[in-house]
Amino acid sequence: MLSVQVEHLSKRYQLGNVERHYKTLRDRLAGMFRPKPPVPADRRELWALRDINLEIQQGEAIGVIGHNGAGKSTLLKILSRITEPTEGVARLHGRVASLLEVGTGFHPELTGRDNIYLNGAILGMSRAEIRQNFDAIVEFAEVERFLDTAVKHYSSGMYVRLAFAVAAHLTPEILLVDEVLAVGDLEFQRRCLGRMNEVARSGRTVFFVSHNLGSIEALCPRSILMSGGQIIEDGPTAKVMARYTSRRSGESMFDLRAFADREGTGHARITGVEILTADGSEQADTVEFGQPFRVRLHWEALQRLSGAALGFALLTEKNERIFFTESIDTGASFDMAPGTGSGDCLLRNPNVVPGTYRLEVWINEIVGIAYADHLRMIGGLEIVPGTPGRVNVSALTEAGRGVVYVDAEWR
Amino acid sequence: MEIRPSRGWRAIDLRELWAYRELLIIFAWRDIKVRYRQTLLGAAWVMGQPLLTMLIFTLVFNRIARFSAPGGLPYPVFVLAGVLIWNFVSGTIASAGNSLIGAAYLISKVYFPRLAIPVSNVIVNVVDFLVGIVLLAGVMAWYRVVPGVTIVALPLIIAIAALFALGIGLWIAAANVEYRDVRVIIPFVLQLAMYATPIVYPLAALPEKYRPIAILNPMTGIVEAFRASLFGTPMPGALVLTWSVVASLLCLIGGALYFRRMERLFADVI
Repeated sequence: MLSVQVEHLSKRYQLGNVERHYKTLRDRLAGMFRPKPPVPADRRELWALRDINLEIQQGEAIGVIGHNGAGKSTLLKILSRITEPTEGVARLHGRVASLLEVGTGFHPELTGRDNIYLNGAILGMSRAEIRQNFDAIVEFAEVERFLDTAVKHYSSGMYVRLAFAVAAHLTPEILLVDEVLAVGDLEFQRRCLGRMNEVARSGRTVFFVSHNLGSIEALCPRSILMSGGQIIEDGPTAKVMARYTSRRSGESMFDLRAFADREGTGHARITGVEILTADGSEQADTVEFGQPFRVRLHWEALQRLSGAALGFALLTEKNERIFFTESIDTGASFDMAPGTGSGDCLLRNPNVVPGTYRLEVWINEIVGIAYADHLRMIGGLEIVPGTPGRVNVSALTEAGRGVVYVDAEWR
Repeated sequence: MEIRPSRGWRAIDLRELWAYRELLIIFAWRDIKVRYRQTLLGAAWVMGQPLLTMLIFTLVFNRIARFSAPGGLPYPVFVLAGVLIWNFVSGTIASAGNSLIGAAYLISKVYFPRLAIPVSNVIVNVVDFLVGIVLLAGVMAWYRVVPGVTIVALPLIIAIAALFALGIGLWIAAANVEYRDVRVIIPFVLQLAMYATPIVYPLAALPEKYRPIAILNPMTGIVEAFRASLFGTPMPGALVLTWSVVASLLCLIGGALYFRRMERLFADVI
């Protein structure tokens, strides 16, 4: 039986339309007495999704892979009804629950118990359902003793466990999941994956977006590969995965040409971020803990910029900045001529513990005054434990250990 | 369920809102719980703020400016009633108006009828208002003011006030998403509006020629009727009352339509 049916689905965003973001009533009122300004030249459209067609049978678990900006999240948001399509139609047969993050709507001042009800209701559970699953949720989260403590006093591990536990007890016919398994310590991630497996095996339809190819392989027999807002491959996961990982070298790891969430004058734009080995000779899919690596920012300038600075920051999954570095720190600046180019940053000593991180990148047009382009929250830089050495790496990833690794020696 | 692009004006889907009633209640419950837990003196704040306003208004407008309440009513009782209903309406407008921006993190992560957010704000404000009514009862007892039988009309008047506030709140909530300077203007407009409404003075104290203008403000009828039902003083005329009800409903319908029209953009813009 058909569970999800998507026909000719498209989604258009307005890009570079600065006044859309900063529209004020004052300007609107003033504008009534002035001739209409011409439409700015940089007002471009972006088709985040273009003519998506997809059929998913009931009980199927389907993985969605693709680079950032490929349209995975947009597709998920449309199926979750968070945003509307511009064209096309999607039919979903059965109750739908979507999980775009864990702990949506958690309130720090409320107790664990209250937050179970609150979060459950937000995810679409009825009171009766929550009550029925309450003990199971508490047991899964291992927070019995802290049920009546405000969650602001929880450790990040407890918080995440509780949040996932609520989500794990959703019982819709169709479950839409985005990248939520990359939370908590490894042991907990394993349990989450196990739980997702149970859900997938119990006849529910699962639509699973992830950067973590391993969990897609474990969960989903079928996958789709997205690129540029289209589905470019659909079939058995092994086959789709092969196509994904065999991408041409030289292709950016993070293709940001379609990335919409940017600020700045737009005189130059960051088009991609590549993660490379330290010597810059090849792309690195993952970075090993403690090993140096190179970040290459590709840009496209629309006009001449002299003395611009490139910047790069590493963020946790919760968007807390761990550090940032800017080319002028070491006196490097870039003279950009209209056209494309790139700048490299070698990180000799990236002392962050294994995990998934986000990037923030920017071009500083006039240092300290104006950004030409600023992109936040670019997802998915993976730092893996790597080869075992002197440090017990798995211990570093335990909850509450922080994200910065300090080379300490005890005697 | 079918997902397709929507076009043009859409009516409010009351059936869907009803299906999400538990969520609506839980939003309200969350805000009430947080307010009465977070603030050290939760209820004390909700009562203390109008009480202090009453004292200051009595000092300024009664003792200094020599305004007086109609029918020999003690001025503090008169002004407290006005302050409470005004705070209820302006508080609802302000919180419903800012509610979508405040809930941006939810809107971009999960679907539910967006209307549930401002509506739950109305419920929260009703609860605060009822706490304020308890305070008013205390002050009335202190001054030995006995309510008339007209008090049975009170729930109806509160309902109209709530619908009016929700209507304006919906306009602002949607406009707030579209225009980022709306939230700066609102507190100022609300403050001015208080003096344009008979809160610190009775309508009868206005010179005859200004009264028709004052009556155009739907809040005038609501405030006057609220006091009349509490104190048994004469109700405002039928025309004034009818206008308040009609204007409130028009605000609500217009606000709901505008809200629905903008709703599809919320997740993309917020």
